[in-house]
Amino acid sequence: MSLDYVKFSTGFEKFMPKEYRDMVEHGPFGRKVSVSQMGTFKEILEEHPMCAGCAMTLFIRLAMISFPNPEDTITVGTAGCGRLAISQAAIPFVYGNYGDQNGVASGLSRGLRLRFGDKPKDVVVMVGDGGMADIGFSGTLHSWFRKEKFATIMLDNEVYGNTGGQESGMTNKGAVLKMAPLGKKFEKMDMVSMAKVAGCAYVATVVPNNPRRVESVIKKAVLIAREVGPTYIQAYTSCNIEYAIPTDKVMEDAKNVENDRYQFSEYITDEAKQYLSERYGYKEFLPKPAAAAAIPQA
Amino acid sequence: MYLVANISVEICAATSCRLCTQFCPEANTILYNNEAGKEKGYKYGSAYVAVDRCKGCAQCVWVCDNMAKHHAIKMVMIDQLPNAAITDNVTYGEKSTTAQLASPVIG
Ligand SMILES: Cc1ncc(C[n+]2csc(CCOP(=O)(O)OP(=O)(O)O)c2C)c(N)n1
Ligand code: SF4
Ligand code: SF4
Ligand code: SF4
Repeated sequence: MSLDYVKFSTGFEKFMPKEYRDMVEHGPFGRKVSVSQMGTFKEILEEHPMCAGCAMTLFIRLAMISFPNPEDTITVGTAGCGRLAISQAAIPFVYGNYGDQNGVASGLSRGLRLRFGDKPKDVVVMVGDGGMADIGFSGTLHSWFRKEKFATIMLDNEVYGNTGGQESGMTNKGAVLKMAPLGKKFEKMDMVSMAKVAGCAYVATVVPNNPRRVESVIKKAVLIAREVGPTYIQAYTSCNIEYAIPTDKVMEDAKNVENDRYQFSEYITDEAKQYLSERYGYKEFLPKPAAAAAIPQA
Repeated sequence: MYLVANISVEICAATSCRLCTQFCPEANTILYNNEAGKEKGYKYGSAYVAVDRCKGCAQCVWVCDNMAKHHAIKMVMIDQLPNAAITDNVTYGEKSTTAQLASPVIG
């Protein structure tokens, strides 16, 4: 959990694979990288077996680039497609039983605080909609009610992708899937409202066809979770296999879905705004100057 | 054989858009070489594909055609590419990368 773990052991440099050497010498550790520099530095995400053209893969790639301090970050995941890529990155990944991610992350983030005090160590949960809104539902909600300080990201492909197309609570009403042939009978769960009710300090919905926006929401969610409270990002990350989206139309689908029913939204408490402006220099959240009318006239 | 993305240096180096790599789902697959095309007088350098990492989804083609509107990327059968970049031949620099091009099909 520091820059020390991404360097060569003395004498071993020449035996390390090229990808590892590139990572140490040209990776994002200990310096700031952004999506606008993509294609010029070695990313922490490596090759993995997720499907060609999967939007979830793109989102995970963008998330890994957006972590404010990758060398001080641990990801937590569970069964589902996302873990196939999240586990193939040069940062620690914790994999529990299906659905227990927010319980595991609660213990982890508390333990890291005890061990490292004020030095921020970021815990980021990234899990599918089934793992979060169905199987891990109570654990997720309880961690928010308890105000556990870590970021929770839902990779919402609106289906159980990894097991061949069962409906989840996040599937849209009426959707017919390979293993849900009668069609979904009830509405998509409103996890965004539940996150707000349960006391998250920051809640955002986002679609990966706007990489800079993905970067911005991930940075805010991770930073706010350091000290203010739990944060939640819900990302539309289509499953091109189960929804039969041709791979070259995945971004077109993301754009259409964004316009139709997955608009960008961002909720942030006043405390979180103040924290971001005072601690991390976010100009957009600086207190507005008092209105002219309030200034006493001479 | 299978399809991989191939970027025309002539078209790409005439702009500086750098959009496609932000949308490729695979990490370190579309890379940038700031010097590519300079010998032919192009201003900006070009994107290129490390074909061993490309999964052939053609999302980059959609992005270059529809978002950038530059039409620089085509899908090509890997054995039809005389020369291509592969990860082992990529060198990272400060703000750019370079790649030694070689036949992508061995044997
Ligand atoms: C306790 C338990 N039950 C069932 C499974 C089988 N399982 C593996 S992945 C998965 C579905 C994942 O769906 P989701 O969480 O929506 O993620 P996606 O694959 O769609 O990204 C299931 C049911 C499991 N691993 N553990
Ligand atoms: S099954 Fe769907 S969500 Fe899973 S990797 Fe394939 S396209 Fe992505
Ligand atoms: S989108 Fe097209 S023009 Fe833009 S960098 Fe990529 S290949 Fe070049
Ligand atoms: S075809 Fe897909 S995997 Fe290959 S470079 Fe283009 S976007 Fe990336």
